[in-house]
Amino acid sequence: MMNNYINNRAMMLRTIKSLLFIITLAFFMQSCEDRLDLQPEDERLTADSAFEDPAAYEQFLAKIYAGISLSGQQGPAGAPDLAGLDEGFSNYLRLYWKMQELTTDEAIIGWNDGTIQDLHGQVWTSGNEFIRTMYTRLMYQVTLCNEFLRQTTDDKLDSRGVEASLRTEIQTYRAEARFMRALTYWHAMDLFANPPFVTEDDPTGAFLPEQIQRADLFDFIETELLDILDDMVAPRQNEYGRADRAAAQMVLAKIYLNAEVYTGASRYADVITQINNIIGEGYTIPQIPYYHSFLADNDSNGAQDEVIFTIPFDGLRTQAFGGMTFLVHAPVGGTMDPADFGINGGWFGVRTTPTFVDQFSLDDFDPAVATSAIGPLSDWGLIGSGTPNGWDGPDIPMAEIDTNVYQGYITFIDGEMKFRFNNDWSLNYGLDPSSTNPNALSQDGPNIPVMAGTYKVTLDLNTLIYSIDSVDGRELLYTDGQNKDIEEVGPFNQGYAVAKYRNVDVDGNPGSDASGDHTDIDFPMFRLADAYLMYAEAVLRGGGGSTSTAVDYINEIRQRAYGNTGGNISESDLTLDFIIDERSRELFFEAHRRTDLIRFGEFSDQGIWQWKGNVPQGTTTDSFRDLMPIPATDLGINTNLTQNPGY
Amino acid sequence: MKTIFNALLFCLLMVPTIFMAQSTVSGTVTDEANAMPLPGVNVIIKGTSRGTSTDFDGNYTLEINQGETIVVSYLGYTTQEIVYNRQSRVDVALVEDAAQLDEVVLIGYGSTTKQDATGAVEKVGDEEFNRGAIVAPQQLIAGKAAGVRITSGGGAAGEGGEIRIRGGASLSATNNPLIVIDGLPIDQRGGSQGSRNALNAINPADIEDFIVLKDASATAIYGSRASNGVILITTKKGTTNQPLQFEYSLQASTRRITNKVDVLNASQYKQLAEDNGVDPATFGNSDTDWQDKIYTTGIGAIHNITASKGYENFNFRVNFNHVSQEGPLLGDLYERNGFNTSFVHRFLDNDLKLTLVAKGIQDEYNYADGGAIGQAVAFDPTQSVFDENGDYTQLGAPLAPANPIFTLENTNDRQTIKRVISNFNVDYRFWFLKDLKFNLNAGIDYAENDGYRFGPANPNNPDAFAFRGFSDGLNRNTALDFFFNYKKNVESINTTLDITAGHAFQEFYIQSNIDNASGPNITIDTDINRNALESYFARASFDIADKYLISASFRRDGSSRFSDDNRWGSFPGVSLGWKVMNEDFMQDSFFSNLKVRAGWGVTGQQEIGQNYGYLGLYTPSRNNSAFIQFGTDVNGEPIFIQTLRPEGFDENLKWEETTQYNVALDFGLFNNRLTGTVDAYYRETEDLLATVPVPAGSNLTDLITTNVGAITSKGIEFSLNGIIAQKDDFGWDTNFNVTFQEQEITKLSLSDDPNFFIQTGGISGGVGNNIQIWKPGYDPSTFFVFRQVYDNDGNPIEGAYVDVNGDNQITEADRQAYKKATPDAFIGFTNNFRYKSLDLNFTFRGSFGNYIYNNVASDRGNLNAIVGQPGYNANAHSSVLDTNFTGQNLFSDAYIQRADFVRLDNISLGYTLPFEKVKLRASLTATNLFVITEYDGLDPEIGNGIENNFYPRTRDVVLGLNFTF
Repeated sequence: MMNNYINNRAMMLRTIKSLLFIITLAFFMQSCEDRLDLQPEDERLTADSAFEDPAAYEQFLAKIYAGISLSGQQGPAGAPDLAGLDEGFSNYLRLYWKMQELTTDEAIIGWNDGTIQDLHGQVWTSGNEFIRTMYTRLMYQVTLCNEFLRQTTDDKLDSRGVEASLRTEIQTYRAEARFMRALTYWHAMDLFANPPFVTEDDPTGAFLPEQIQRADLFDFIETELLDILDDMVAPRQNEYGRADRAAAQMVLAKIYLNAEVYTGASRYADVITQINNIIGEGYTIPQIPYYHSFLADNDSNGAQDEVIFTIPFDGLRTQAFGGMTFLVHAPVGGTMDPADFGINGGWFGVRTTPTFVDQFSLDDFDPAVATSAIGPLSDWGLIGSGTPNGWDGPDIPMAEIDTNVYQGYITFIDGEMKFRFNNDWSLNYGLDPSSTNPNALSQDGPNIPVMAGTYKVTLDLNTLIYSIDSVDGRELLYTDGQNKDIEEVGPFNQGYAVAKYRNVDVDGNPGSDASGDHTDIDFPMFRLADAYLMYAEAVLRGGGGSTSTAVDYINEIRQRAYGNTGGNISESDLTLDFIIDERSRELFFEAHRRTDLIRFGEFSDQGIWQWKGNVPQGTTTDSFRDLMPIPATDLGINTNLTQNPGY
Repeated sequence: MKTIFNALLFCLLMVPTIFMAQSTVSGTVTDEANAMPLPGVNVIIKGTSRGTSTDFDGNYTLEINQGETIVVSYLGYTTQEIVYNRQSRVDVALVEDAAQLDEVVLIGYGSTTKQDATGAVEKVGDEEFNRGAIVAPQQLIAGKAAGVRITSGGGAAGEGGEIRIRGGASLSATNNPLIVIDGLPIDQRGGSQGSRNALNAINPADIEDFIVLKDASATAIYGSRASNGVILITTKKGTTNQPLQFEYSLQASTRRITNKVDVLNASQYKQLAEDNGVDPATFGNSDTDWQDKIYTTGIGAIHNITASKGYENFNFRVNFNHVSQEGPLLGDLYERNGFNTSFVHRFLDNDLKLTLVAKGIQDEYNYADGGAIGQAVAFDPTQSVFDENGDYTQLGAPLAPANPIFTLENTNDRQTIKRVISNFNVDYRFWFLKDLKFNLNAGIDYAENDGYRFGPANPNNPDAFAFRGFSDGLNRNTALDFFFNYKKNVESINTTLDITAGHAFQEFYIQSNIDNASGPNITIDTDINRNALESYFARASFDIADKYLISASFRRDGSSRFSDDNRWGSFPGVSLGWKVMNEDFMQDSFFSNLKVRAGWGVTGQQEIGQNYGYLGLYTPSRNNSAFIQFGTDVNGEPIFIQTLRPEGFDENLKWEETTQYNVALDFGLFNNRLTGTVDAYYRETEDLLATVPVPAGSNLTDLITTNVGAITSKGIEFSLNGIIAQKDDFGWDTNFNVTFQEQEITKLSLSDDPNFFIQTGGISGGVGNNIQIWKPGYDPSTFFVFRQVYDNDGNPIEGAYVDVNGDNQITEADRQAYKKATPDAFIGFTNNFRYKSLDLNFTFRGSFGNYIYNNVASDRGNLNAIVGQPGYNANAHSSVLDTNFTGQNLFSDAYIQRADFVRLDNISLGYTLPFEKVKLRASLTATNLFVITEYDGLDPEIGNGIENNFYPRTRDVVLGLNFTF
């Protein structure tokens, strides 16, 4: 009985235990399934949690602007936006610059990175990874803008309870996002003609975007830009670094100027309209040396007065191996002193062709006439074996341009010279060996060596300093140790070097990054000189406007370049041939050249420069190269795409 | 965790007790060959779970009923059955079974025997392991199993090796097999951070055996992680009724490199440099072989102290392990202190068995800066290490290589990894139904790492900043699984059933923190990643008439990495076996074993390196240097805005699925002294997870890991084991295995464009250059090159390539797919000799049909390597003397070289001294003694087929001493 009881009890206990066990297991399995819904726990956020923070909208807009200057979420490299190519190479500005410059007479690069040399050789294929990454970067930038527009619809803002003042601001942000998208679509239209087309109405994920035809894309860009003009902040009123209405008008003017290329129909009158809108807003050509516009302090040294849309960089806060870091380092090499460029060393890559160098040739320039034009001739002059009259004289006279400041143009031969008063040695200046300034002068000092060429010579008796400058201040070439002709693509000393962008301020102090890697120079994407030249070109192409106004605009630019009126032109000089050359002189290395050459019909089947066509002396190429190929990769993935003709 | 403890507690609570009175039998079990008693032999009563095992003197005692059958089984011996008929003693003499067909092999959530296995399952036991001072467990089985290829990453201290079973099944997801240690699946990403080889946490001396599950019918029970095969590692445990035993072993080793990169010596360099316009004034006066300077002889020692003891119901094993391994790169050091324990306790007449395995490991690395390898290759050989002032000689241009000795001496890079791997197993046989078992497994693998790196400022740039970085992190992997197993011989239908069903949950948590600074650039970042897997699994096996085997398994896995809609995947597997040998017509056959097997299964893959790939996320910029200016403040100072980036995503992300077919033949001849297996497989991976370009404009990224392609592979594996001599004084056995394999991408994009390809395989020499290609129709390691044109003397003409498309230009379009890095075939060949107390064994490994791209030669084998550098001169690779190339010809097929090789991997001579109380074994082992190859670069065995600053493999000479008492 007792045993039975115990047994029963034991059995019951076991049964209860078993039941409990099974219930526990079932409960356990249930709780496991819930644990498969995981969300990020670090700094990554889901869209809904990200936009709980009102600042997120501005930060997202900042990402769209950073899309041009930076390459990812960690400066200078790390967490890249694009993974298909080295991060530094994938930067928007760097790639766009390469497309616009390396393909032309303005720039050649000696590096061995994949297919990079095919750009200058104009033998690229649809497999070129630089063209591919440009294309990818452009479309990435578009999807960023689209996502911004999706996240800032009224419905979304309502659902997140965004307060009214922020909502007003977000409307401006949306206009800027649409501007940035239009800007990028313009680049895509210009380079690839018929890119894939996506807007905020498309989803994100696995779908195949449709291809748009160039003329339709033109209409889209135009409509978008006209539509947002009222929502954009008034010119020069927005925060530095952000786009305003004038920037949008500039893109409109750009597409109108090239409309014949893009759509077959010219729109030059619209160019005049848009440029007039911009010019009326108070931008000026600052009368400071041209090179100041490309220095580390070009956001504050006066150069900013001209700038319509800037891409800001900062040596410490805005770091990338693309953008200005590339544009300063890559053209430095040979005997160039990195300290002059505010950097730790050159990358021995980019040089220019003799064709560009010759844009500065002074065939019709008479130094004596030019000297007379800049001020009354004085008794101060130049004497020496380097001067046309040799040591026997008489002196080559200089004009007085300010109190005790004399200036004159002269064509030197290799030799030496001194400054002399009134054809007599009693008052003469040579070098001052006791000074650390190599341009200091002293009475009876040693002769000054000079190199052959035509120069502007300035003598400042207030400070006893002299200078020998290019006649045209835009001729920022470096020739020491460099061969003018390019016999080989690789070595840096083949072709003159270009010293345009320098990470020092007007006083020569280096930029904020003490390690000398990254630079403070802001990239002037659009500036007034470009607008002036566009105006003049539109006038010449029959868009209306005034020829004399055009000449005044050009002379404003040239007065900055020459430092005086010595380079001014007259109406008869204003021709389309002059415009294309003047654009190169004024805007070289600013990512305009390819578009300009195509508009003038001189990019592919016309126009020859060294190594074009991949031969040393250059040759023409097929006209289909006016368009870049749709990358083979995307053609392989997206069956909606058709390749551009010729590829 | 709470639920895990709840469940555990419950199991312990339900401990039932049961006793019954019966008659007693006892006896002694001996080895028939020498009449020596056998301890630890299993003696059980057939059809029940009652049983015991023999003590140290081979004796056993058992409660038994009249008419029951005693089953006496022991690993390596033929099982005997004796019907109990009230004998007072039952003594048994067991006969050694040459082929060990009854050997138990684990198959994942259960076990089977070798002769009942239907999948491609291979066991490598400790007597077959490679010898020597082995630090990385995977090196134990290099060359030992067909279809398994282990490629070490080089000669660095603590270096591991890449394991590929049947070549791997994926492109962008992992190709690492799933490794299960004592029932705990280890994180396929490694399980700890900051380590050269996460598997180093397992002491090689502590491993009992490796079981390699190769085909899908065998691995499908592991479902979503099984596509690349599964390796089950069992660590050593104590045995029942075993006296206290101590073992101490020492392996002292030296490690030296065997080969160097072929660069110009000082006089060759001077001549070439001077001929090409370098001012001789820039030359130094030395003739420095920089590679000699950076490599040294590494000294290593491995100590193992082990104690083990077994009682009737309890046994334990405790091992302490210390490893220290140096070099060969100056300053490279790896140290490990490991404490490995196992405890087994049986309760309730062996109905309940609790096993606890716990390991605590501390790994310490002192990483020598591998950058010194490239610097030594490039550094001007005319310079001495120190200049006349006693300072390090430097070249002075910002982009110049630093003095490699400077780099090694001034970099301080340490990581300490503390890791605990522990597993608790409950195995319970139900009192009311003896054929039903419950098994519960709770495991944790927890690692913390902590390290720092101080790097000197670029000595060639006076403005450069030094680097200092701290990194720490933790990895936690918790697993809980349980299953029920029902095994019964149903005599009415002459069939043995074996049915298993269970549930598993596993969670992985990884955190990593960095705090890096280089001058004003500071990056502080924390990454946290958590993912989880939940699974239901079941298997049923039938053995009909001991002739026909059927096994079917099914697993359903849910992964947190996929959205609700795609979260769950099903992975079935079926295999059949026919024990032909047991058919009547085989009675007088030539064969002593013959079995045919066939299997089919579907496995999955979800190890794609990202956790939230289906979610659209936003990432803020991570350091102070990725901000953008928006306006200025009242003082005119710029205002910088942090950026917020939306990330690309694929909400349809799902499992990669691999279907695999396997047919095989197992055979034995000459009384199983010659046994062999032939396995043939065909494998197809669909919805392949590949990192591919997105259609431009469709996503917030350019490359995404998504289900896009397909890949197939097929192969034949052949292995042969022979016992050639088996005498008292002399033994010789041999193992040969060969694997033929072929892999091909069949689809790579949604559009099915046959010309679509993706470049891969980054190389040095220019930025962003790739030398390999993924393209449908080709092996994923295929090279992508220009076809070099040669002159009449057979010398390459610089820049002259075959114009493949005939457009009279050499462009990107003329590059061709050519050769590949993976071998067509590889072999392993092992021989073991025994003569009295001497033993000798050696292992050859070989590989055929594999090619290597010599990136050191392509990058540096040209004049520009010397004269074309920005502001300095550097050394060139000696190939420049043959090619006379001026510039880099990176994509020339002249740099693709045949890299077939046969390597004497391991040779070991041992001598055993059987003292009265102590057993001493002394051995001398040499590894990597020689390599026969045509390849003239550093080493023909390089994982990805691209030789570039490869850390040279060492030749180790190891003295081993092993005391057992």
